[in-house]
Amino acid sequence: MGAESFLAMRGIDKRFGDVRALNDVDFELEAGEIHALLGVNGAGKSTLIKILSGVYSKDAGSIRIDGEEFALGSPRAAIEAGIAVVQQHPELVGDLTGAENIFLGQEHRRSGLFSPVNGQDIRRRAAALLERFPIDVDLDRAVDDMPAVDREIVAILHALRLENARILILDEPTSTLTEREKESLFEMMQTLKAQGLAIIYITHHLDEVFEIADRFTVFRGGRRVATHGVAEAQREGISIPNLMLDSVAGDIFPPRSDRVDGEVVFEARDLSRQGEFEDVSFSARKGEILGIFGLVGSGVDELSKALFGVLRPDSGELHLNGRRVRFRSPAQALKAGIFLVPGDRRTEGLSMDENVIFNTTVANLGRASLGGFMRFGRNRRDSGALAERVDLQPRKLDRPLRGYSGGNQQKVVIAKGLYREADVYIFVEPTVGVDIGARAKIYTLMRELSDRAAVIVISSDCDEVFGVADRTVALYKGAPIGAPSREITRDHLLHAGIMGEAV
Amino acid sequence: MTDVTQQSVPTASAARRAPARQGLQPGQALMRYGFFGLVIAVFVVFAVLRPTFIAPGNIHGMLMSASIAALMFLGLTWIVAAGEIDVSFMSVAALSNMTVAGLVSGGADWPLATLGGLGIGVLFGLLNATLVAGLRLPALVITIASGALAASIAAAIGLGTSISLSTTGYVGALLDMRVGVLPLLAVIVAAIYVVAWFMQEKLTFGRYVYALEQNRAAVEEAGVPVNRLMFMLYVLSGVVSAVAGILLAANLSSGQPYLGTSYFLDGLTAVLLGGMALKFGKPNVIGTLAAVIFLTGLLNGAALLGWTDSQRQIVRGSLLLVGVGLVVYARTRTHKRKTA
Amino acid sequence: MTTNTLFIRILAFGAIVAIIAGLFWSQNPAFLSTGNIRALMRHMSVNGVAALGLTFVIVVRHFDLSFPGVASFGAMTMGWLIAGGQPLWMAISGGLAVGLLFGIFNGIAVARFKLPDIVTTIATGGLAIGFSYFYSNGTSISRNFFMSGLLDINDGRFLGLDRPFAILLGAALIGILILNASRFGRAFYATGENETAAWYSGVPVNAMVVAAFALCGLCACLSVVLLVASSGAANVSAGTQLLMPAFAAVYLGAALFGRPSVLATLAGTMLMSLMLNGFTLLAIPYYYSDAIVSTVLILAITCFDPRISGALRRLIPARKEKLA
Repeated sequence: MGAESFLAMRGIDKRFGDVRALNDVDFELEAGEIHALLGVNGAGKSTLIKILSGVYSKDAGSIRIDGEEFALGSPRAAIEAGIAVVQQHPELVGDLTGAENIFLGQEHRRSGLFSPVNGQDIRRRAAALLERFPIDVDLDRAVDDMPAVDREIVAILHALRLENARILILDEPTSTLTEREKESLFEMMQTLKAQGLAIIYITHHLDEVFEIADRFTVFRGGRRVATHGVAEAQREGISIPNLMLDSVAGDIFPPRSDRVDGEVVFEARDLSRQGEFEDVSFSARKGEILGIFGLVGSGVDELSKALFGVLRPDSGELHLNGRRVRFRSPAQALKAGIFLVPGDRRTEGLSMDENVIFNTTVANLGRASLGGFMRFGRNRRDSGALAERVDLQPRKLDRPLRGYSGGNQQKVVIAKGLYREADVYIFVEPTVGVDIGARAKIYTLMRELSDRAAVIVISSDCDEVFGVADRTVALYKGAPIGAPSREITRDHLLHAGIMGEAV
Repeated sequence: MTDVTQQSVPTASAARRAPARQGLQPGQALMRYGFFGLVIAVFVVFAVLRPTFIAPGNIHGMLMSASIAALMFLGLTWIVAAGEIDVSFMSVAALSNMTVAGLVSGGADWPLATLGGLGIGVLFGLLNATLVAGLRLPALVITIASGALAASIAAAIGLGTSISLSTTGYVGALLDMRVGVLPLLAVIVAAIYVVAWFMQEKLTFGRYVYALEQNRAAVEEAGVPVNRLMFMLYVLSGVVSAVAGILLAANLSSGQPYLGTSYFLDGLTAVLLGGMALKFGKPNVIGTLAAVIFLTGLLNGAALLGWTDSQRQIVRGSLLLVGVGLVVYARTRTHKRKTA
Repeated sequence: MTTNTLFIRILAFGAIVAIIAGLFWSQNPAFLSTGNIRALMRHMSVNGVAALGLTFVIVVRHFDLSFPGVASFGAMTMGWLIAGGQPLWMAISGGLAVGLLFGIFNGIAVARFKLPDIVTTIATGGLAIGFSYFYSNGTSISRNFFMSGLLDINDGRFLGLDRPFAILLGAALIGILILNASRFGRAFYATGENETAAWYSGVPVNAMVVAAFALCGLCACLSVVLLVASSGAANVSAGTQLLMPAFAAVYLGAALFGRPSVLATLAGTMLMSLMLNGFTLLAIPYYYSDAIVSTVLILAITCFDPRISGALRRLIPARKEKLA
């Protein structure tokens, strides 16, 4: 390689305990380039970004910007090095205008608690910023009154308010935007690029890569797998989905079921919720696992909540064991025989300061008590048996869940489900933040459960859905692509979920 | 609980239709300025019902007590506006009040005694500020405890009873001074509120106070010294409460160890009810001032009409409940506007 | 919490009690006399019952500042009923009903209508004080008290214990059964620990919050019944002295035992009563009591705060290693 890249990261290593999040990663970025970072959850792209923005410090490797070496040990150091980061969910103050948010904390040259706030001056500075980056946005509106894309633009301008900003990192900025809003954001990115800014763009949507990026880099399992120019990839027919797929992952999935005649337990008919998902229909049978694949923002999360009574669908019907059901709360769904392993176990699944027995029994207090009183001996035995069944490591029933690894916490959520003895199990993102050993165990448990219950797995991890489910369907922008089928291949599922293309 | 409404994806057209902040709709104008109309209405109604209500003597008395109360609630207004709580302010006032009375009756002269009272305010302000803003301990329990400590010492100074004073010193002289027909104190407090309004509206100080309540993370990320700001607010609350306590010593010619109780409800009511004026549910100094005048007029007029303590207390409690309800209602309305 | 650390905590609590008792005993041997211990238990009863109720509200991670006012209203309601010639059980039920109703009102306002708990309960407490003036326009009520048998609640004995203390133990036993042994206890803790996760697990979280506030109101009124029985008159400020000791007991106990529970609250109450009783014996006047309690509370919260205790532990690294 001749002249060094504008940003050159060499041999970056990062470990978290036993997990090697980044393994000898190189990354180059040019000025005036939009560079997409791709990879499934946990592939290492967000770790790389956090090192670049000073949130994590690297274990090994070097970072050079414009030929100068930087350590980037803290967010402040990163900002001083000219790296501007826009978080996935930027923090803004709703009642302040766009301009006021951009210059929050820097209302006056002399920053402090008692500096005058000159509205005109702030507007003028905002106008100057807009002159540097010509974007069509009204910065005099309160952020709460702005459409999502304008809020995103405010967040980007907030990151770029410093004169020295030269590298901009955008973490999934389109996840809450509509198609048309996305176009405005892309226009802005083109403008910034024309100003010579280097932009790193994280996304799950491959169609966006071809629309906006110049180059892309794919991560997998903590390594950089490939970097290509977008034009080159198109010319040579390089398949990004194949690069993202983990070829060794196949081993951890249990064999599929060949039962096709299991009775229908749970059925959704034309389920819709305004702006989130529409006309979703499926039937879940005993003896098999139904898989629904959809990216973040595709409506899968909302769909799972609508199945469990957390959200209420606007239209459509749910049928359980042949009878129509309507849930106003999770309690009613549980009572009817549905159990949800929620996507965010820390906020929706567990009491982190309580122990294993507490967490498993709380899912079914009726079973855990007799005449209103807890059956302590029995609950301990039951929890012990469940802990053994889900292979909890270490099997310490009195330990608060905070002391367990992510994978073992997830096993406790599943133990809750087993304790409930439901007819339908819905797993949402069942293996986020779960190590490979625990993943295999969780998939095996799902397979075991399918013997006597209907199991639905809903995930943004295509490999997972394809690997563990017997019948699969993809959700793209709220709409199912085709009907659940056994015939769908891994590539088809991925294309359907990422590009919205039917087979 | 996760806010599901916030996750909804607005369509571009609907989002673009969201109202801009230019021009007030009639409903908004009513919400913003309606409270001032209510204040005037209270005074008109009582003036009609009981002409003595607007007798110069009564007006003067109301101005004095409103001024002292308004001073006491200044720090509280901003603490609540920033999303925190202080339930020790009235006890700090009582302690400073008793400190002054104790020192004066013990032979100290007034300047020294007022210095002592002020020192108490600074001390308790620092205590709250260190524990709540510095160590980030739970504000409610800490201020319950520090308030109880102050109230207890206040009672101990008078050995459980009040202390009557024979002189009111320079503070009394100050309270007697007038500017034209107005008491000087009212003019001073009005001036303080003008300065406070300036700080709240024109300086970064006020901007950060409100931003804190809305999104603390955003303010911290912007590099604002959030802890220092909260620290100052608690010290301020201690100091203004102490000054109010000193003024009360001269105004009542006595030290009253239990004077805090009546200011407790009034303070929170004034702050929350006043928040409805101008800022759609956000506590602000002009609102607090208007609400203090409103409460003073209402309670004074009610007394003239012969209402019992009980009835007035119920009015206080109900007003606070109405204030809380209105604030929550106004906030949900704003929130809906955001997601519509 | 494992049984092992619980055992250490109980030992530590016993040591603190022993040290405090020893100090007072060395100053005044009467401290450990039967008469004084009975007085101490009586003192514990009023504060302990009120603190028990507050424990439930703290367990579901809310605050109730209305219970002192509600207790005053309950006291006056009971006094008015007794003065009106109603039978004792009816008068007491009337007083307790006041607490229950206000508690339910608070709970619904906070759980269903999402009103902020602190200010809402301050307001309802203010309302309750206003209502308490209704019966006698603010003067205290004691008519018929002697005849009604109310005073026997204070003076009588039950199983060799003074009745107020027996009532405290009874209430604590029920509290332990509910909070530690029943499915509702699990639901209370689950609601406080992680409301969303509890809701996803089928726990009726709003109902648990309402129940917690209702129990708090009920216990506050029960405690004021004991208070009125011992003082012989109901007055409009009867409840105000409950606020500080109740909060102190719950927080002191939670600091000692790692989390709020009935036993922790009892322990907190006992520590406070020990100190207050001891200082009374040393002839320190009553108006210092809140000062003592609040100082201890501030110190306890500060020292037991995980960040601060962590910082203290970092100062003595050797000891940390020994423990690990």
